[in-house]
Amino acid sequence: MKARLALASIIIPMGLIIAAVPENTTKPFKLTANELLEEVKSGTQFIYPDQVAEMVITKDPTLQIVDVRNADEFEKFSLPNAINIPLVDILNPEWEDYIDQDVKFNVFYSNGTNDANEAWMITRQLGYENNYVLEGGLNYWVETIMNPEAPKSTSSNEEILKYNLRKGAGMALGGAAVNTQPSTMAKSSKPPITKRKKKKRVVGGC
Amino acid sequence: MGPLIVYDIISDNANLFFAFLIGIGFGFVLEINGFSSSRRLAGMFYGYDTTVLKVFFTAAIVGAVGLLFMSLFNWIDLSSIYINPTFLWSTLGGGAIMGAGFILGGYCPGTSVCAASIGKLDALAFVGGIFIGIFIFTEGFPLWEEFYNAKYIGSPVLSEFLGSSRGVLTLLMILVALGMFWIGEWAEKRFARDDYKLNQK
Repeated sequence: MKARLALASIIIPMGLIIAAVPENTTKPFKLTANELLEEVKSGTQFIYPDQVAEMVITKDPTLQIVDVRNADEFEKFSLPNAINIPLVDILNPEWEDYIDQDVKFNVFYSNGTNDANEAWMITRQLGYENNYVLEGGLNYWVETIMNPEAPKSTSSNEEILKYNLRKGAGMALGGAAVNTQPSTMAKSSKPPITKRKKKKRVVGGC
Repeated sequence: MGPLIVYDIISDNANLFFAFLIGIGFGFVLEINGFSSSRRLAGMFYGYDTTVLKVFFTAAIVGAVGLLFMSLFNWIDLSSIYINPTFLWSTLGGGAIMGAGFILGGYCPGTSVCAASIGKLDALAFVGGIFIGIFIFTEGFPLWEEFYNAKYIGSPVLSEFLGSSRGVLTLLMILVALGMFWIGEWAEKRFARDDYKLNQK
């Protein structure tokens, strides 16, 4: 009997206090400037086009490609199944579920590496994980995956294997067969548009 | 103030060591509260001994208040606390099976190990039953795999479901708990048994 009264006299006031104070929603695990600098220096955020291409070919369900360029550029050309989160919009709460999660493997890309890297730094500073940057950006992607340079016949097996992978990836992604740049762009610009619609349905579903 | 223990800062082995110490502490608390007595545990179902309710409800509300205060002082990040995901049907099915086993055997899995460690033979039999259950479950897994993974509803939190803050819900739970203690002690008098004395050693 006494024990219950003692417990009540301590725990009820504590409960009242905790019910009255606002909830602490700050995230204490943000990176310090030094920690971020270390990560930038080691460059662990970069992922090579070959790795991404392999994930695309094997239809890795964890892969989520994120285009951080503006909507106009995204409409003209984008990688398959990519979603568009323009860099200026990256802090929009609408996208938070996409960039702050622990299931998908997000790959940011822009034309070069800069914009994607900036997007990554912002999300990393917020403490988000599983976000990566496509090394070399779209330009390097087109160069290596869409129009891979054929290795010399004297090249090592490894080189030839790499070339075959890239060629296969290019074909799977609707490029490669045509070598001229403009038609590659024209050819590849079609599927992303239809696929983006599919993505939108997913947005509604979630 | 920083967090008490940052994930990944202590190694997996050190982590296991802490788990070992906490496990011993847990076992000790169970034993000191008489949880190695199957009569005391089964008393919960018949109403003549509600110690189980009191101990676990006290642990829950003290834990809840403690976590919220630690979060308030930035000692802990509540968003990085692991919440077991819920698969509704297997939760209900598993709960029913465990409840039935609890009434039949007089122990729950943790307390059976606790009682076996002080040499109770019925608890040893119960632990043996646990292993038989594990064997049947794993060997027959393909049969109930679908049921096991059905109705996944993520990690729902009661406060979000009710649309209240965590603090208000905690206060509510405290009041509910104290009310339950009162009812429990009433039940202990109402369903008292001649052959059972409360807090006997």
